[in-house]
Amino acid sequence: MTSSVLIFGLVNSAILMLTALGFSLIFGLSGVANLAHGAIYLSSGYVAWIFLNSLGLPYFLAVPLTIVAAGLLGAAIYWLVIMRVRGLGLSEVIATFAVGVAILEFFRWMGFVTYEFNLPVLIKGSLDISGVSVDYQRLVIVGVGILMAALLWLFAHHTKIGLALRGMAQDEYTALSLGIDSDWAAALSMALGSAIAALAAVVTLPLGIISINLGYEVLIMALAVTVLGGLESITGLVVGALLLGFARTVTGTYFDPKWMEVVYLIALVLVLAVKPSGLFGKYKELEERV
Amino acid sequence: MLEVKNLMVFFENALAINDLSLEVKAGEFVGIFGSNSAGKTTLMNTIAGLTLHKQYREQRKGGERITIVGKILLDGEDIMLIKPDYRVKKGIVLCRERHPVFKDNTVHENLLLGGYLRNGREVKESIEFVYDLFPALDRLKGRKSGLLSGGEQEMLAIGMALVARPRLLLMDEPLLGLSPAMQQEVVRAVKRLSQEGLTILLSEQYARPIMPLIDRGYVIENGTLIVTGTGEELMDNPEVKAAYFGM
Repeated sequence: MTSSVLIFGLVNSAILMLTALGFSLIFGLSGVANLAHGAIYLSSGYVAWIFLNSLGLPYFLAVPLTIVAAGLLGAAIYWLVIMRVRGLGLSEVIATFAVGVAILEFFRWMGFVTYEFNLPVLIKGSLDISGVSVDYQRLVIVGVGILMAALLWLFAHHTKIGLALRGMAQDEYTALSLGIDSDWAAALSMALGSAIAALAAVVTLPLGIISINLGYEVLIMALAVTVLGGLESITGLVVGALLLGFARTVTGTYFDPKWMEVVYLIALVLVLAVKPSGLFGKYKELEERV
Repeated sequence: MLEVKNLMVFFENALAINDLSLEVKAGEFVGIFGSNSAGKTTLMNTIAGLTLHKQYREQRKGGERITIVGKILLDGEDIMLIKPDYRVKKGIVLCRERHPVFKDNTVHENLLLGGYLRNGREVKESIEFVYDLFPALDRLKGRKSGLLSGGEQEMLAIGMALVARPRLLLMDEPLLGLSPAMQQEVVRAVKRLSQEGLTILLSEQYARPIMPLIDRGYVIENGTLIVTGTGEELMDNPEVKAAYFGM
């Protein structure tokens, strides 16, 4: 039982981290609380399904195309919607939420409501770890999660563009005075965050069936992890994902699986009430925006 | 090099810059002097394009109405509608007031950010120059800039602007809030930059240490040009003496 909790707690944490990474990145780099995050995640799942099943593309072509398409969608959302209301926190929240709902309901209207929509796993089969059978896809999720967190940290700290995005997040006008274009930086962070949401979708969605409601659930998961860990901190994101992932697994194992979804909401309420800036957060902005 | 012609800037109905004209020739060190709310920062931000950026931003969200009228010419080309990043590419770099640095980044990372639009060789050369100009920064290069003193942050802010390799360096109140020792350090650096041929337009409320160094200066009040002349002429002007030297 303990091995099972440890292994599936880690897997759940990796899923949470991957689904929250894009949201956290966008907020950290551009200050935009992108409530369309869940919709971008879910639409990436449907787009990947269309590439694989309707267009018959091979997996290793469909996945990169899905990630690129999500990146372009994120940039388009910035240029067409967010840019108009940039700097107005509440308007950004309302606008991105409206875009998210529009995307999700578009797929519902298109008839993506049956149980036939699922994505294939990257590697079939399972592995026995300390008597617990773990399928390879879950190990892929853990690996991709660790890799993405490391790559993002390297990107943010050791590349010219990463430094520029961090600079823009800290002081827009000083960044502008040094030649960094703020709209370009924000659009790029939206594109990157959306591409990461798509990557999260293609590696985590094979664990179940793609359904519209997942879009809303993923948004709540991302909000819970980001608020718990604190904004603008990859360490906070990792710790937040681990805490929630294990809390969720323990709840499902020792109490009742039906309470697993409530863990996010309890975490959100507790953190906002006790330490609104999160465990590792420096700013108290998200609670003012959401 | 730079010509500002009949510039007017309104924030809603408030006139921040009123029919102001000035000129900066290549290699000159020009000062803008004025008290609080004289319009110095608005003028600097308008030349650097930040007011234009704010105007676009406010227009998009239906916020504050900002109106900019007049001409800003760089080497004869009207740059009034050019975005701030393109102005930096053309060589206009602003070191903003109150020593703005990226506080979560180290000193060295801040300097690298200063060279965002420049190539690797140019950035390396410029950073070496900055460390030579401000040896204290070389010693502090691994420290987070949010942990620096105000004076060290000002040196860093100037350093960042220099790594952007300006043809025209705009400095907005570089002495604001600094200790006398730090003020001397900044003045020493500005003097060296000017002697090495860099074109500088510097605004300052605290005129005493700057006025003897400038080639020409402008005194503005309420956004309006009051007096202009060489550094010596300004220092001999009774109104300027009374206002800035307490004589």
